[in-house]
Amino acid sequence: MSSHPIQPASEPPPPLVPREWHLRLDPLLLLASLGLVACSLIALNSATANDIPGKPDYYVMRQGIYAGIGVVLMYALSRLDYSRLRELRYPVYGVLIGLLVFVLGIAQATRGSKAWIELPGFQFQPSELGKVLLIAALGGFVVDRMRRMGRDTTARIMLLGLFPTMLVILEPDLGSALVYVAATLAILFVAGAPWRHFAALFTLFAVAIALVLVVAPKMGVEVLEPYQVDRLTSFLHPSADPGDEGYHQQQALTALGSGEKTGRGVAGATQTSLNFLPEHHTDFIFASIGETYGFAGCALVLSLYALLIWRGLHILTIAKNLYGALIAGGITVMLLFQLFVNIGMNVGIMPITGVTAPLLSFGGSSMLATFMALGLLHAVHAQARETAELKGRATVFQ
Amino acid sequence: MPTPLEERRPAITPQLAVRVAILGGFAFVLFAIVFFRLWFLQVLSGEDYVAKARENRVRKVRIEAPRGDIVDRDGRVLVKTRVAAVVQMVPEALPESVVEQADEFRKQRSEAEQERLGASSQLHALERDIRESRRGPSRSQRRERRRLARAARQAKPVAIPPVPVDELKLRRLYRHLGRVIGVKPRRIHQRVIEGIAELPYSNVTIKTAVSRAAFNYIRERREQFPGVEVEKQYLRDYPHDELAAQLFGTTREISPAELKMKRYKGVEPGTRIGADGLEEKYDKYLRGKDGYTRIVINALGTRDDRRPQKRVEPRQGQRLRITLDLDLQRAANDAIKRGVEAASANGARAGAFVAMDPRNGEVLALGSYPSFNANEFAKPISQKRYDALNSDENGAPLFNRAIAATYPTGSTFKPITAMAAMEEGVISPTTTLMDNGEYKLGDQIRKNAQDASYGPLQLPQALTVSSDVFFYQLGEQLEYKGNALQDWAHKLGLGRKTGIDIPGEFNGLIPDKAWRTKGYDAYQKCTDKANVPQGTTEALYKCGGIERPWTTGDNVSLAVGQGDLQATPLQLAEAYTTIINGGKVVRPHLGLQVEDGQGRLMEEIRVPIRRRVQFDPAYRDAIMAGLHGAATAQGGTSADVFAGADYRDHLYGKTGTAERQPNPDQSWYACYVDDQFKPIVVVTTIERGGFGAETAAPAARLILDEWFDVHGDHEFHAGDDQSN
Repeated sequence: MSSHPIQPASEPPPPLVPREWHLRLDPLLLLASLGLVACSLIALNSATANDIPGKPDYYVMRQGIYAGIGVVLMYALSRLDYSRLRELRYPVYGVLIGLLVFVLGIAQATRGSKAWIELPGFQFQPSELGKVLLIAALGGFVVDRMRRMGRDTTARIMLLGLFPTMLVILEPDLGSALVYVAATLAILFVAGAPWRHFAALFTLFAVAIALVLVVAPKMGVEVLEPYQVDRLTSFLHPSADPGDEGYHQQQALTALGSGEKTGRGVAGATQTSLNFLPEHHTDFIFASIGETYGFAGCALVLSLYALLIWRGLHILTIAKNLYGALIAGGITVMLLFQLFVNIGMNVGIMPITGVTAPLLSFGGSSMLATFMALGLLHAVHAQARETAELKGRATVFQ
Repeated sequence: MPTPLEERRPAITPQLAVRVAILGGFAFVLFAIVFFRLWFLQVLSGEDYVAKARENRVRKVRIEAPRGDIVDRDGRVLVKTRVAAVVQMVPEALPESVVEQADEFRKQRSEAEQERLGASSQLHALERDIRESRRGPSRSQRRERRRLARAARQAKPVAIPPVPVDELKLRRLYRHLGRVIGVKPRRIHQRVIEGIAELPYSNVTIKTAVSRAAFNYIRERREQFPGVEVEKQYLRDYPHDELAAQLFGTTREISPAELKMKRYKGVEPGTRIGADGLEEKYDKYLRGKDGYTRIVINALGTRDDRRPQKRVEPRQGQRLRITLDLDLQRAANDAIKRGVEAASANGARAGAFVAMDPRNGEVLALGSYPSFNANEFAKPISQKRYDALNSDENGAPLFNRAIAATYPTGSTFKPITAMAAMEEGVISPTTTLMDNGEYKLGDQIRKNAQDASYGPLQLPQALTVSSDVFFYQLGEQLEYKGNALQDWAHKLGLGRKTGIDIPGEFNGLIPDKAWRTKGYDAYQKCTDKANVPQGTTEALYKCGGIERPWTTGDNVSLAVGQGDLQATPLQLAEAYTTIINGGKVVRPHLGLQVEDGQGRLMEEIRVPIRRRVQFDPAYRDAIMAGLHGAATAQGGTSADVFAGADYRDHLYGKTGTAERQPNPDQSWYACYVDDQFKPIVVVTTIERGGFGAETAAPAARLILDEWFDVHGDHEFHAGDDQSN
């Protein structure tokens, strides 16, 4: 005789913990994300204290507000049935394209970098939100064609992904465009596109790079602006040219390296405090952490990111349906790509591309978009957990 | 027991599992790469980056070293350093339009200068022509001469362009700055234009010696004055104003071209070095070693003075002691001044003097009158003022006539002719030649001054009375000995630089056949090419003044120091010194020794003799006897000048009156006193001074009186002798 009372299958047993009380979120993922936000706030506190005379807390406050809103958004999204997004894939894609076109159009008028929309009190960068939208939409498109992962599908998905990429490149925002490409590839990868497709795409990509960086300039066609080319290639020879790009690279390395094991403390972090390190609140915040808190600080940040990625992959494996797996995969790869490119840039092994470190760098759009992505991850996780529970019970009683 | 819920996972396909594994592995590898890279950067190479970070933020700021003083032989300060607050503008901060204006200005100014030089050379050619014609200038020649003199005197002034109208920021800056330091905006712009035209890379000094209030005001509001620098700077100060001013030179920032030169090895850009004069020659000693302080700056370059920084004190330049005797210099300057005043009826304006120790070439006094107040050059000087200082009207005080002005020397050349004649065997110290007042060469007749005739003369007497006819004969004879006269002049020190240790010396000219032949050939070629008939004024301007080949008459003229001879007072002093020394050719020099700030000797400046000339001591004695007579004996050309002088017994002197058609004659005097302890050679000359005994000799007496501390009557003892 079992100790559990036998219940009819139609009525689920009362859970030990009321459902509404379930923390639908993955605790470790939550820990990782909150930990990174905390690191960001601490780093900003010390690095940006002198940036705006008279307002030492400007950046910290704003980042804190963004994080707060982000957490709320994350929780809201986590309660969402993400599968609905799959149904909305066309509108979602439409919104994505619409936003990107809008920002291009609006910025024509203001003759600036066409990446921002000015809202009251906030600068909205659509390309950040677009990352999440793209993943959601592309995932939806792929799931449609699940059984036919042939060349057609690959090509279509690539094109669907490349279209917004081009729009982003026109802003110009090369860094974000690369993230879009990475996300698209990730989705294809998780969906199970054949290996040879990836080989072919890789070759195409290499050819494209060669064209853009070498052949076209020789023929007098400048596909990329010279400064963009500079940024991409300067990491290969930073000390050869202490011009702008090489200079930034050098300063970042100097900042990081001078932190040694435990950092130089806030007062001693002269690269940051005397403004030798550019963008110490966005692109190069990692270097700033490195200078102030040393290897210890960097290791902590890296560990938190590792935790984040691990949980993301885990969620991918437990996702209850392909769509969940796809968006979990896309989001995880997107985060991995961003963090690797940014940190790589800080340590001098990647070109300078203006990709921000998720949750760490200062930036409202990035923070909110990342939290939305995390919210989706949590949603996938939550549904997977629930399904697991249900499935488990179903299995028992069948 | 049913499997606990958490342990059951929905199965995933193997393919997906593989892919996830790949992704996971990929992520792992990426993290590992980053970790190792961080380890490398921070733990392994950390120290290097700490050093780099320090380099970034720490800058060396130069602390200027004060230049060493220049003192006279008794230690009296001639040039010293004082601190002044200086307002400068940085050329990089000025707009393009201003730089272009400065370029244009420089171009126009150099064109004007070229014109002036052209007029000047035409003027010389015309004057030579007039001189050689011996007829006196015609009316048209006089007119032409006046025109050329005007053009040659001063370059056409180039106007300073106005401040560009659309440079509003610059105009505002000028106004603001001008109000604070009390300089009109127009004047500021003028200084800027002239400064950039002169030295395109240096800061332009707007005003030196601004008030402390202004200094602090600008210092505290740097951002209101972009491109303006206020600094405490060291300036040169000249306590004795115009005494020896031509000797010192000036200081300025080192130029990019000079930085590459070997002699400036190790000198940082921005250091002040000497330009011209003693400042340049002895820059190595006078220039100290700049110190530096390390300051912390941020990426924008603003200072962060919260932390105390290392400071290396500058090392002051060493002191230069020169051979000059300040009192003698002052006396000599006054003496020439009085000489000029005495001849003011002739339009006399200028003169020069040299006083030297014949034993070693130490220069006791050397200068050109009129002089200028050297303090004027310690501050920025306007182009107008500079031009005025160079103009003939004002006597060109910047021009150091003692070493750079070349003139015919008149009879002071005769000892050289004598030496040449004796050495070539033309005469002996006791040969008698007849002076009957006339000398004929071809159909030319030359006479003594005032038609005097002295009868039979031996060499010493010929020198004493300064007989032209005697020496004309020598000149003719020496012509048959080839270039003998010229060679001896050259050997004794004329026609070449003496090697004095200030720049700017001129070679002078000893005319000989080769020179004239070459000049005449060139003249002929030129007139042929330009298709201009020879002998006309046009040909004169275009092709120079050598309109005929060499004749014996030229050598004859040379024998009495007239004609095309060009010598500087210093060269004459050198020649006399060589004869006096029995053939030892000294190198005139000003540098005596180098000392540190406390006066301790650091380095003696050794100046070896240049060479030796061999001649018979008997010839020297004969010449000296003649010179002694000239200064003291009855009938001597300068005897009445030195009447009553204590040192008469040891005095040797020669008057000279150089013809400088169409101008009045130039007065010369060269003398020597062989005192046991303080022997001295003095050469004086006064342009348009008339006869040698009239102005140059009395001036020399005043100098000698001062040297031998004679409490004389300080009268100007003009002599009556009117010989050449």
